[in-house]
Formats: sequence, structure tokens, C-alpha cells
Amino acid sequence: MTDQIPCHLRERDDIVLRILQLSVNFPVGKQTVQAVTNVSFDVARGETLGLVGESGCGKSTVGRAIMQLPAPSAGHVFFNGQDMTDLAGEALRQTRTGLQMIFQDPISSLNPRRRVRDIVAEGLTIWGRENADTRVEEVMAAVGLDAASAGDRRPHQFSGGQCQRICIARSLALDPDVLICDEPVSALDVSVQAQILNLLEDMKARYHLTMVFIAHNLAVVKNISDRVAVMYLGKLCEIGNTGSLYARPAHPYTRALLASIPDADPLAREQASIDGEPLLQGELPSPADPPSGCRFRTRCPYAQARCAEEIPQMQLVADDHYVACHFPILEPQAVR
Amino acid sequence: MTDDRLNSQSVLRVEDLTIRLNSGAGTVHAVEAVSFALARGQTLGVVGESGSGKSVMARSLMGLLPRRAMAYKAGKVVFQADPAPAQDLMQMPEKQLRHLRGPAMAMIFQDPMTALNPVLRLSVQLTESLRQHLGMDRQQARRRAIDLLAAVGIPDAGRRIDQFPHQLSGGMRQRVVIAIALACNPSLLIADEPTTALDVTVQKQILDLLARLQREHQMAMILITHDLGVVASRADHIAVMYAGRIVEHAPAKTLFSAMKHPYTEALFNSIPRINDPSHTRLQAIPGRPPQLVEPASGCAFAPRCQYAQARCLEQTPPIVTVPGTNDHKHACFFPVSAAPGQESVDD
Repeated sequence: MTDQIPCHLRERDDIVLRILQLSVNFPVGKQTVQAVTNVSFDVARGETLGLVGESGCGKSTVGRAIMQLPAPSAGHVFFNGQDMTDLAGEALRQTRTGLQMIFQDPISSLNPRRRVRDIVAEGLTIWGRENADTRVEEVMAAVGLDAASAGDRRPHQFSGGQCQRICIARSLALDPDVLICDEPVSALDVSVQAQILNLLEDMKARYHLTMVFIAHNLAVVKNISDRVAVMYLGKLCEIGNTGSLYARPAHPYTRALLASIPDADPLAREQASIDGEPLLQGELPSPADPPSGCRFRTRCPYAQARCAEEIPQMQLVADDHYVACHFPILEPQAVR
Repeated sequence: MTDDRLNSQSVLRVEDLTIRLNSGAGTVHAVEAVSFALARGQTLGVVGESGSGKSVMARSLMGLLPRRAMAYKAGKVVFQADPAPAQDLMQMPEKQLRHLRGPAMAMIFQDPMTALNPVLRLSVQLTESLRQHLGMDRQQARRRAIDLLAAVGIPDAGRRIDQFPHQLSGGMRQRVVIAIALACNPSLLIADEPTTALDVTVQKQILDLLARLQREHQMAMILITHDLGVVASRADHIAVMYAGRIVEHAPAKTLFSAMKHPYTEALFNSIPRINDPSHTRLQAIPGRPPQLVEPASGCAFAPRCQYAQARCLEQTPPIVTVPGTNDHKHACFFPVSAAPGQESVDD
């Protein structure tokens, strides 16, 4: 199984990022927490992949493992064809400039004692790039900050939304290929959240970025993503293009997630298609001792004996839509 | 239901509640002239962004704001739990208030991790109010506490009751917090962001649980949240707060079908909708929420409002009732017309 290429990986020339059978384990006391197990996906140039799941499903760990922070326990991360897990030291540092990250809490990810201009310039300074000042001014203007007035101030003088703009400017300074966004809007107020989501779309177009967008909010992920991958307890359940996955969710877990969203429009709510979906029962099992077979089976309303014995593999259910379930739900659904 | 009848049945009636707090930077105008009434069995959803004053308002209703922090307070909070006569909580001494918190009114907080005492077993935390207020003995209180845990959907309650909070998941802890709040069967429950710290599947479980318990006990509930989606289908009435004021207040369906305040409209439009196709451009609200220290005159939303005119910057719009309704109120000189997208200047 280990060397078999999963069917949901695409044979294309423009794949920027390919994650192959990635596993991350953390030792906790005498146990081993299997934070991420055998996750594979790819992202094509200019594409945004949304990674969703509840807390503890391993979505942030995947984001960090791509950056080799820390390096995965097993599996490969191909960035522009180069396997990053083979790299170390200087070569890894060089390659990593092509991937940048932004985080959930914009305020704590900025050094409070440094000036905004120096924070944004940090990557340029480290690599001794020429014309750093011009580049800083350019990226700050791009995210909607005036370098002349904002550059000499410090992070505490800015609101959360503006701090996230600074973080985005910093991540863009080195002209990366890939931007990994780990819950970039969950700490922000709704009115500011829309500004940042729009800004990310603009930056993606302007700097030709490829994005991995990690979030728990399914509506936010749908808004920004071309493809979406759903994770549960360290495993990928379902991956596919956004339209198909939201309209016809095939994995029982994806369906339960979608049915749980409170809709902001009670008038639209009445025609939602998956309202009849049974609610999730029970608690998330421990990732130190995950269930055999399908990891979702302990909470799955459709689980059968086979689910405990055999690990479900990804299978094609629609055009560019794959699900890892023995008994996927395939009847056509009204578009949600 | 007419306004009079609503008033006579009100569990809670808030009139012109104003709260100003001391802070290092100056006096914070946290709550300004807030009025509303809440009837038995009804849910009021209070929606607002961080800093809109919704939590300060909730705490002031319970008398939970520290006295030292209070720079100024005014207004009435009339509370009536049958069969006791109506009383103004703002005038009530702390000693008397203590006898109301728990048996008459209770509160659920956002973070179930910090709302529970980590070094006490659940049994101690659950039986405290039962013994204090209802005068139960240890055995009675323990039996009732186990029933309560079972009622909020905790399996194996008899064993769980002797555990410590850290042995429970976040969703379970919030269930315990709810059980504690409901122990003495209060007439009013204030839930301040009860699901913000929880995952979406757990959120639905907790909101369903609250709705069921509310029906069973005919409680009045104030559900405070920053998420319009949480209150949209669960509240009877919704109050939208901005910069310490209620800017719009209406029955939930009316609010969504005929929103009047530009802020309500902007908030609604800025939320990514699950039904929209991906890459739908969001209508962001420019700028950011105002600071509440020495606020400027005029409508607080005016600097971010696409319909604002000169008058909005000078005068504070009073809260008015929409003609032809008795329960749809807003505070705007130039309310949004019913037809969406059309600029309206009818005053």
C-alpha cells in the first residue's frame, strides 16, 4: 500500500505542491498521538485548496508539516518537484522561501517590540535582497497600508485586522509561490473577516499565488477555495472541487458537518437539503488510540461491520470528487 | 400579541440602561440607552461584534460588573419572576441580588474551561446552588445533580459526577456549565457566546439542548453571539448592537426580510454564505468598529456607512418604530428600504 499512488492525485504538469502519504506522530508520554496519518493531496498552480475539519483533526499539523515545521514522521512533500523531506540545513532554508505562512492570531505572530517596516522586511534582510525598501513599500501598499505612516509604528498600534494585513505583507515580501493560511480569519470580527478574505483573493491574483487555506468555518472555506479537503481524526475523508463537494457531500462526516452549520439566513434555511441528516453522536476518539478501519465509524450513523475491518481507500464518486468511505452517500442532492 | 400584553408577561424589562466603565484610557461608554423587554419562554438574540457592549450589558443585568470599574450607571432593569413582585435590579443591594442569582436568573459563559473550577469535582460545583438556595441536604442535592447531568445529555452521569473538569471534553464541560445554570430552574437564562469556543457539530448539539431545556422550563433566554447564523433560526427577537447601542430590534423573520439599519445590512452582506458559489466577492464593511472612549457625536456607524449624510455625523439618531409595526425598531435617519440595493432616504 505504501508505494501505491492514491487515485485522487492528479497527473498534471502544473502541480506546485504534492503531499504523498504524509504522517505526523507526536510522542506523548508512553503513547504516540497519530496527529496525521497517510494524508495525500496536491495543489495546482493558482489553485486554492481548503482544508477543513474540527479542532484536533490534524489540519494545522498538515500545514506545518508542509513547511517541515516539524518534518513529518513519514511521507513526502514535493514542492515544484523537489522532495522537501530530503532536504536539510541550507538547502531547506533556501527552498522554504517559496512557501510562506500566515497564522490565526495576527497580534501574537508579530514581535511587539519591532517596527512594522522591519517586520515586513525581515525575510528580505535575512536573504540580503537588494531594493528591500522598495519591496517593503510595494507589499505594504498592496495590502492597504501606507508604508510612510504605518512603517514606523509598532504592532500594538494596529487593530487585529490591520495586524493580519501586516502578516500578509510579510509573507508576500519574498515573492513566494505558495501561501499557507492557518485559520487566518477566525480571530477577526465578521466585518473585518470579509476585508481579509477579499484581500487574500486580490493578493492571489496579483502575485500568482497558490494557496492552502486551513479553517474550520465551512462557509469561509467555500468562499475562497477551488477544491476542498475534509479531515477527520488525522485522515482525509473527502476531497473534491468545491461545487461538487458542497452540493453532493458523499462522506457521512462531511454531511454531518454541513448539516451542523447554522445558516445566517433563516429564509434560505428552509430549503436546505441535508437538514434531515442525523446529528453526530458521541465524542471524538483519542488520536493516540484511533478506531480500527474507518476512523469515523464509531460516530457514523451508517457504519457496518466492514468499516471496522478495512481502512477505506479514496474512490472517485464524481468528476474531481473523491471520498474515502465504504458506503458513500451518492443519491443526487439539491444544491445547497 | 399586543405590546401591553407582552409587557405584563415580561420576565425582564430593561429601560434606558447606560453603563460607563473606567479604563486606563478614559471612560468607556460600553452600553448606551439600551431598552428591551423579554417575555416568558421567549428568546432574545443579541448580535454584535467584539466591543459592541453585548457582554457588558449581559453582566450588568446580572449585577456582575465590579463596582470599582463602574464610572456611571443609569436606567432600570425590572425583573419579575412569579410569584415575586417586579423589582428593579439596578437599585437592589448586593445581598438581595445574591438570592436571585441561581434560583431566578442564571448565566452561561463563553469559555467552559474557565467557567468551571479546575480543582473541584463536578459534584461540588453542581450541588452548591442546590444546597445554598433550595436548602437540599447532601444526598438530595447529589441525586438531583446526577439527574441534571443526565438531562443535559452526559452519559454515565453517576460516574462523571465525581470527575474533575479536565477529564471532560469541551462540549461536555459546556453541558456541565448549562446543568449548573439550570440547577435551580431559573426564569431567565443569559447565555453569553455559549458555543463560540466549540466546534460546529458540538455547537449544534449545545444549541439544540438549550432550545429543548428552554421549552421544558418555559425560561426566558438572552442568547448573545457575534454569529448571526446562531440566532437566525433560534431567537424570537433579535437585537443588533453597535458601539453600545441597540441599532435595530425586530422579530427574527422581520429582521431578515426587512432589515432597516445599514449596519444590519452590511453585517449580513459581509458574511460568506454557504449557498453562494465559491469566489463570490464579499461586501466588506470598510474601516473598523469605533473605540468607545469619549465617542464622537452623531451615529457611531456613520464613518463606515455607505448611506451616511451630513446629519448622521452631527446628531445621534433616536430609536424609532417602523410605521405599521409595533415591534420593529431601528436607530437610523435614513433606513434601508425594503427593496435591497436601493438607496433610500425616506425619513
